[in-house]
Amino acid sequence: MEVFQLLLSGLSQGCVYGLIALGFVMIYKATEMLNFAQGDMMMLGAFVAFTFVNLAGLPFFVGFLITLVVMVGFGMGLERTVIRPMIGEPPFAVLMLTIGLGFILRAVAGAIWGSGTRTLDVPFAGRVLEVGGVVLGYENLVVIGGTALLCIGLWAFFRYSRIGIAMQAASQNQLAAYYCGVPVKRVTSLVWGISAAISAAAGVLVAPVMLIDPMMGFLGIKAFAAAIVGGFGSLPGAIVGGLLIGVVEQFAGLYLPAGLGEVSAFVILLVMLMARPQGIFASMQQKKV
Amino acid sequence: MRFVLTTHYGQDVNLFRHNGQRFWYALLAVSVVVAPLFLSTFYVGELVLVFIWAIAGIGLMLLVGYTGLVSLGHAAFLALGAYCHAVLLGYGVPFAVSAPVAVAFTALVGALVGIPALRMTGVYLAIATLAFERIVAYGIEHWEPVTGGLRGMSVPQPDFFGVSLADSYVLYYVSLGVLAAGLFAAANLLRSPTGRAFVAVRDSEISAESMGVHLARTKTTAFAVSAAFTGLAGVLLAHRIGYLAPDAFTVQTSIQLLLLVVVGGLGSLHGVVFGAIFVGYLPQVIALARDVLPSAVGQIPGLELGIFGLILALFLVFEPLGLYGRWLKIRSWLSLFPLYRKATHKRQKAYLRTERVQ
Amino acid sequence: MDSDQAALFEARNLSLSFGGVRAVRDVSFEIRRGEVFSIIGPNGAGKTTVFNLINRIYDADEGTMRFNGTEMSRVPGHRVAELGITRTFQNTELFDRATVLDNLLIGRHVHRRTNIVAEFLFLPTVRRQEIAFRSYAERIIDLLELQGSRDQMVGALPYGTRKIVEIARALCAEPELLLLDEPSSGLNPEETEDLSFWIEDISADLGVTIAMVEHDMNLVTAVSNRVMAMADGAAITTGTPAEVQDHPEVLRAYLGD
Repeated sequence: MEVFQLLLSGLSQGCVYGLIALGFVMIYKATEMLNFAQGDMMMLGAFVAFTFVNLAGLPFFVGFLITLVVMVGFGMGLERTVIRPMIGEPPFAVLMLTIGLGFILRAVAGAIWGSGTRTLDVPFAGRVLEVGGVVLGYENLVVIGGTALLCIGLWAFFRYSRIGIAMQAASQNQLAAYYCGVPVKRVTSLVWGISAAISAAAGVLVAPVMLIDPMMGFLGIKAFAAAIVGGFGSLPGAIVGGLLIGVVEQFAGLYLPAGLGEVSAFVILLVMLMARPQGIFASMQQKKV
Repeated sequence: MRFVLTTHYGQDVNLFRHNGQRFWYALLAVSVVVAPLFLSTFYVGELVLVFIWAIAGIGLMLLVGYTGLVSLGHAAFLALGAYCHAVLLGYGVPFAVSAPVAVAFTALVGALVGIPALRMTGVYLAIATLAFERIVAYGIEHWEPVTGGLRGMSVPQPDFFGVSLADSYVLYYVSLGVLAAGLFAAANLLRSPTGRAFVAVRDSEISAESMGVHLARTKTTAFAVSAAFTGLAGVLLAHRIGYLAPDAFTVQTSIQLLLLVVVGGLGSLHGVVFGAIFVGYLPQVIALARDVLPSAVGQIPGLELGIFGLILALFLVFEPLGLYGRWLKIRSWLSLFPLYRKATHKRQKAYLRTERVQ
Repeated sequence: MDSDQAALFEARNLSLSFGGVRAVRDVSFEIRRGEVFSIIGPNGAGKTTVFNLINRIYDADEGTMRFNGTEMSRVPGHRVAELGITRTFQNTELFDRATVLDNLLIGRHVHRRTNIVAEFLFLPTVRRQEIAFRSYAERIIDLLELQGSRDQMVGALPYGTRKIVEIARALCAEPELLLLDEPSSGLNPEETEDLSFWIEDISADLGVTIAMVEHDMNLVTAVSNRVMAMADGAAITTGTPAEVQDHPEVLRAYLGD
């Protein structure tokens, strides 16, 4: 029975990694930029939700929706002010820039909300569901359910909405998409917005499981590992990679020597890079000359 | 602007192009040699730290600035060098043996890390090195009998040719010597085929290979050399701080090293020195600023890292050539005044470079 | 054309597919020592792919390649330059953040005889080698008239100069066979004319055999000894420029049925 509980908490943790990885991969696909501040966007999202729900006293779901809107705006604003001037710079520069941004976001969050840990008020806190002797925490179930809903929503968005299809086109060939009349700049901006919102959703979902503090963005490192394990550039791969790492981490934490759970994500990553560098869902190809 | 008439190919090969350069470098050398005579122990210790940063910076600069391979985990090499050296000293191994062994060990690990790098582009490497750093940190925290775990371990201070390395003045001259030798060696490498192969790999792997550069060997070499320099810095750092604990080598340290190479100026050894001075003194400037600023601002948690991040971002957006690039611009402005045009140093942007299939 | 008729390079039945698309099908040809051999054909005919096969960027699915009598179908990519084959790229692949001279010196890489330890210490052997490398690079700079841009960063040069720098870099390796992938693309008519003289110089003064993929028929006719026409991955015909140009199947490939 313990196995089921471990599996559940692993899956829910994995969903969070998966969502951050999803945002990370989305930006990479659209712009070939790596956003190392993705984890910190999650942190920021959690704090914004905390502000609306706990401090302003709005109902949870209203606060959640407002958070998503605010974070879309934040992501787009960030793209417009900081990222766009970097187009044409070497990829390394952008990567470093986002690392710098991560530090700035942490300091800013520390300045606004303090360095202490906070708890987000959620309607389902502490409640459990008992099924055949297995105790399932609502928090975990909500993370998994929320991630599933979000994924379905995103899938429909990319599949059916005009702008979603434009995004796919732009991510495959920016120049060609531009010639076909896709507003590439606006699309890129929106990708950053959506990516920030996905991370924020991850932050809100994970808040009841782990407390909110300015350093929670470090979780992003594992999400990057998840993105690679899944096969960089594949959106379903990001989620699958996240789930895999989340589950392995839980089991390694229990059955292996102390602390190995913490690094199991990285061990999986390195093993994966040696054995199958293209990831579970291969999508990257060689450069053409 | 100074024009030098070259009459022999050897002049192009030399490290210094003309006597003016020789004069200024000699003056610099004399001033750093006599500096400790006029400085208190505290400032000498701070300079030692700058030298150590610079030695590690050479390593990262060769990798990031010249070979174009990103490492977000260089703190691990610093830690490996420091711990390996300290542990060997603890077993009574003399300094003259343990330091080279520590450097060789770090280089070997670097080469091993470089192997997956062969098949990886920037993205993968950045994350893989980050993962490597976490795994090394885990090893150090949990291998208690050897490393002392979270409690840490004190570094035995052996005699170095009859004088103790615990003395800041001794350590000053040792570090200075190592730094000078390191810069000399790196400059030599960069004017030789291996250094040019690094640059070739950085700028275009496909044509590097078509010109006969063995990509795998070049990348592994770059990693090994880079790790060796950083491990050497770790050896000296062990003596400088005297007590090793895992919190001295974190992701933050790796980022500080990257800050060093970016702020100094990617692709220049001068930049390493500028960057080391910057990274070495920044924490003190921030500490001073904390005292001056109102406590509400001064006490923000993570302020120091936030400022690091901000400076990093500002440099990347406004001065990607770093402090050294800025210095070159000032110098040419001074010598060309009033004819200097902004376009002299126009930035090159590489649009539409992609690692993916079009 | 009294050049030595022995084949320097020989390809037999080369085939390569990319996921069902047959990019190169059963192509055989030879490049004779001392000649200028051109490959022409419409876009997507597989010309560059043939170069990428020779250069060992791709593994051929079938077929063999011999260079100087050596079987080279499975030689690793970095060994090709050592064998004596260097190339240029369609859209130039230069080392942008290095000077023209440094780019050419990388061209000398295959002639490196020093190891990393000697290089760290810059021993006299390394110094002598550097001076020798430079004197060869300067020869090429003089030949292709690159003196003016010698110390400039390659990334800052105009496109036409970049194309010449790439040829110069390939020549610095002292190849026996030089592959030029669309050397005239992006050049203006004057630059193209200069190019045709240089190709003749390279062939005559340095004795380098040249194979090129080219669209500009004037250039092809002016410099080539023999021409191979390709369409849809297959070789249609090989012969003198005039023969190939008048070949009915070549006309059909270009103009459609």
